[in-house]
Amino acid sequence: MKPAKFDYVAPTTVDAAVEALRAANGEGKVLAGGQSLLPLLNFRMTRPAVLVDLNGIRELSFIELRGDRVAIGALTRHREIEQSPLIASKLPVMAAAMRHVAHLAIRNRGTIGGSLSHADPAAELPMLSLLYSASLSVQGPSGRRTIAAEDFFVDALTNCLEPEDIVVEIEFPILQQNGWAFEEVARRFGDFALASIAVSVRRGASTIKDARVAVMGVADTPLRLKEVEGQLRGIAIDDQMPDRFSELVTSSVSANGDLHASAEYRQHLLGQLARRAMQTALAAESDRR
Amino acid sequence: MNSETRPHSSDVLRPRNVGAAIKRTEDPRLLTGRGEYSADRKPDRPLHVAFLRSGQPHARIARIDTVAAQVSPGVVAVFTAENLAGDFKPVIPFSRMPNYYATPIVPLATGKVRYVGEAVAAVIATSRYLAEDALELIDVDYEPLGALSRAETAIAGDAALLHEEAGTNVLIAREFKKGDVAADLKAAAVRVSGRFEMTRKAPLAMEPRSYTAEYDKRRDAVTLYTSSNIPGIVRDAICESLDLPGHRLRVVAPDVGGSFGSKGSLYPEELLICIAARKLGRSLKWTADRLEDVSSSSQAFAEIVDAEMGFDANGIATSLQADVIGDVGAYSIYPWTCGLEPVQVVSFLPGPYKIASYRGAVRGVATCKPPTGPYRGVGRPISTFVAERLMDLGAKALGLDPLEIRRRNLIPAEEFPYRIASGIIWDKTGFVECLEAAAEAVGYEQLRAQQADARKHGRLFGIGIASYAELTGIGSRIAVAPGMPINTGSETAKITIDSTGAITAAFGVASHGQGLETTLAQIVADDLGARFEDVRVIQGDSDEVPMSTGTYASRSAVLGGGAAKHASRILQDKIKRVASHLLEANQDDIEVLDGKAVVIGTDRAVTFKQVAKAVYSDMKTLPVEAREELTGTYTYDPINGTTAAATHIAVVEVDPLTCFVQILKYVVAEDCGRIINPMIVDGQVHGGVAQGIGAALFEELVYDDDGQLLSASLVDYVIPSAPEVPAMDVVHIESESAVAGGFRGMGEGGTIGAPAAIANAIADALSPLGIDVSILPMTPERIFKLMEQTRLNARGKADE
Ligand SMILES: Cc1cc2nc3c(=O)[nH]c(=O)nc-3n(C[C@H](O)[C@H](O)[C@H](O)COP(=O)(O)OP(=O)(O)OC[C@H]3O[C@@H](n4cnc5c(N)ncnc54)[C@H](O)[C@@H]3O)c2cc1C
Repeated sequence: MKPAKFDYVAPTTVDAAVEALRAANGEGKVLAGGQSLLPLLNFRMTRPAVLVDLNGIRELSFIELRGDRVAIGALTRHREIEQSPLIASKLPVMAAAMRHVAHLAIRNRGTIGGSLSHADPAAELPMLSLLYSASLSVQGPSGRRTIAAEDFFVDALTNCLEPEDIVVEIEFPILQQNGWAFEEVARRFGDFALASIAVSVRRGASTIKDARVAVMGVADTPLRLKEVEGQLRGIAIDDQMPDRFSELVTSSVSANGDLHASAEYRQHLLGQLARRAMQTALAAESDRR
Repeated sequence: MNSETRPHSSDVLRPRNVGAAIKRTEDPRLLTGRGEYSADRKPDRPLHVAFLRSGQPHARIARIDTVAAQVSPGVVAVFTAENLAGDFKPVIPFSRMPNYYATPIVPLATGKVRYVGEAVAAVIATSRYLAEDALELIDVDYEPLGALSRAETAIAGDAALLHEEAGTNVLIAREFKKGDVAADLKAAAVRVSGRFEMTRKAPLAMEPRSYTAEYDKRRDAVTLYTSSNIPGIVRDAICESLDLPGHRLRVVAPDVGGSFGSKGSLYPEELLICIAARKLGRSLKWTADRLEDVSSSSQAFAEIVDAEMGFDANGIATSLQADVIGDVGAYSIYPWTCGLEPVQVVSFLPGPYKIASYRGAVRGVATCKPPTGPYRGVGRPISTFVAERLMDLGAKALGLDPLEIRRRNLIPAEEFPYRIASGIIWDKTGFVECLEAAAEAVGYEQLRAQQADARKHGRLFGIGIASYAELTGIGSRIAVAPGMPINTGSETAKITIDSTGAITAAFGVASHGQGLETTLAQIVADDLGARFEDVRVIQGDSDEVPMSTGTYASRSAVLGGGAAKHASRILQDKIKRVASHLLEANQDDIEVLDGKAVVIGTDRAVTFKQVAKAVYSDMKTLPVEAREELTGTYTYDPINGTTAAATHIAVVEVDPLTCFVQILKYVVAEDCGRIINPMIVDGQVHGGVAQGIGAALFEELVYDDDGQLLSASLVDYVIPSAPEVPAMDVVHIESESAVAGGFRGMGEGGTIGAPAAIANAIADALSPLGIDVSILPMTPERIFKLMEQTRLNARGKADE
């Protein structure tokens, strides 16, 4: 289990990295935290001619507030996001989700750019990028452009980037919300999710004014459930509301099955998690579990 | 001095090493990365081996083209079965069992491949990277012969044959009988039955299999450093296969990172690396990657058991019968044979219970999977699972408490030694004592009250009990594996004091994590009269003792420990004889303690160093005939072996929403006789239970109908990690055993009891829903399906 031969370059600027990828003629691959890429290299499931190591590019690692958005550099480690007070106060759903991302050792290395680019259908950050309507800033040979998260994930482990593109940073709009929840079930703590849901609501005195819902682990990509969001708008908040929400979610998703969980079981889990998530989102801040 | 007036030996008073919770000698080195595993060997300019493995489950090898690989950069040689043909004799896993076919073991697939992962060709290159590059250039033409992926279908008359020479896919068939089961079942007041299954499991040692063959040009000799727990057996088998005398093939098991049985058989790769080292005159290295280890090391369980138990109206089990189908994989293994795991299931099925009549039949069926082999507990995890499920089913049918039904059926103290149907004899062990101690430690009565309360609130709360007995430290009267011709009944210890006074105790047994370096030194220190820290233990080296079979079957504390005791006494007598000259005292008045020979009750003493000097260096002090070499060698054979037993009690809760099982409480009461080191015993129990939790809830090797392994990486093969393993209470019942030292083997028990206890606890938790547990692991998926089925049934009833 050794990788096939590759060349290795370690640029210190994004421009140089993009240039290295361009020079590799479609045979280049970016190395970030390496937590997903190295196993693929070792299994020879990917065989780049050139590995472009981003770890020396300092400017890619940051978390900063930009008005009504939080911007995160692509090389920012999961652990930094998990521990950031800014994320905790401005993107609380993300803060809650981060401890479900793998194990500490992996979070110390793994990066947000890597997680989004790897596009695992059961990974937390891709789902959160949908929930928040994040926009990815991508640099290629013809300069920078912005890609909306909802356009980014094409299929399982497939994004919409060209081989010369590098994700540089991601902007997360801060949600106007007064209730939220993140729920996940994994076989063991730190495993990829069997099913997961994130909910954000803005509620009035007795109705939902606005809601965001995203799920993962149940389809080839994470999903933002816009139809469900529409159905929630203006809906009355009562005791039946979590049950109704659970039905809305399960009827709008048809889960995939695999070795770890059948479609029926995932669908069941999703329904259960949806109910729990809505209960939590609607609970007063002081009642939160 | 007569015996009344002579000062007593301080033997009884002094703090003894045996029984003390001494920290493991090996741990500082292992925990700080200073251990030396096979892969850490650094021979002169080694070459690296990589194996091309079959992607086909069952196919004829029509042609192998290695031309491109041979000229690939760094490649020194490419081997296939064809160019090794004259270099070895196949190794035959012989057995005297009737109805058994021994599949020959060869280094590389010959003529046919029989499972995905079987080695077909080997590339030897200057680095592993280059070797793996060259693997991609080898071209194999396969003619598919159809996968045999399930034992049940491989038995069918029209199934393709995996080994044509065998004439059948049933490689082993056997039956045990006692009394008239049919009549007793007919007469039974209550009969319970089920079809039980434990799926295929990987032993999954932390260190994958790893071999370094160091070639010695001067003598045309090879030293094989192998991650094996049977280095002596490997030495003997390869010597026979390669026609080498034992002094030209030394086999050493250095630090070994776990085995759990997966390193306890001879492997084709071990043959290959020795053959290739000699052909090329070079040292070679190979370490399996995780994928290779999971898909080519011996695997476990894979059995389906149809079983039935009959009880009289008092809840006494009268009769038991079982038909077992074992999916043994593609080959029989050396030396244990493919009968080891499935035959043990029927040998041990009656367990610690007094059951008047019994019939147990087993068929071991060849399929396109890696061979099954020894795995911690061998056969008994599933025999215990089945017997304990039946006991609980019986209790339920009779309206008895599961604790009570076991009280009524365990073999009581006065009936030992007790012979069960398969001929196994239980010596006196605390069967009932373990049951009662576990019940007390877990607070059984209170738990039942707690359960009643939990059920009122709709919670799925369950308590599961499992009792078992196992045979450990087996002597020469019984073959460890059925009908096996090699002697597994003895072990040798050779203890030497050299000219500097240093003590070295050499054994053939080989620790792969058990802590034998510590426990054997504890025994030697006590019985020789040395300080613990002065005893160096050497183990797992075929050059150190003439013959050894290694560490398996919970034998090393009993056999190695017994040999250590006797050899220590022999050496101590020699020390006393020398000391009596030096101290001018009667031998009987000398005691040996803390590395000194002392005249009892005086301060007259000589150190081991002084004794050694007198014997070896100083030509004046001793008469010539008194200069006995300071060495004690003893080969110990416990003849029959000894029983070990335990009761496990698990308390679980099933989350009805996620279908996950949480273990709330876990208690083990075990009887391993005299405890050498309580910290090590606890550690073995903890580790064994953790593995049992894996078998009960998580671990499953999934092969699809095309014989492809779907769970080949640790992403898909799920093992328990620290958060999934609960804190455990371990209670020790130290009942007397007749073997030397009174030790009973205990390295496997945790894995035997845990699957059954957890299965019973889950069944108990789910019993309000009318759900039974008959397959392990009980994954959330399986629990979900069972609960769905109940929901559907309920709905169906409501609709009627
Ligand atoms: C045992 C284990 C458990 C895990 N569990 C989880 C989990 O529960 N949840 C979860 O979300 N993740 C999990 N992960 C994945 C982990 O979060 C990875 O770190 C992450 O998916 C990839 O990030 P990385 O920085 O390591 O990327 P790398 O492995 O370096 O790269 C991954 C891919 O992204 C590309 N890439 C990386 N950075 C960029 C960039 N800036 N622009 C363009 N392409 C880029 C690479 O070329 C490669 O194709 C787990 C990983 C392991 C090993």
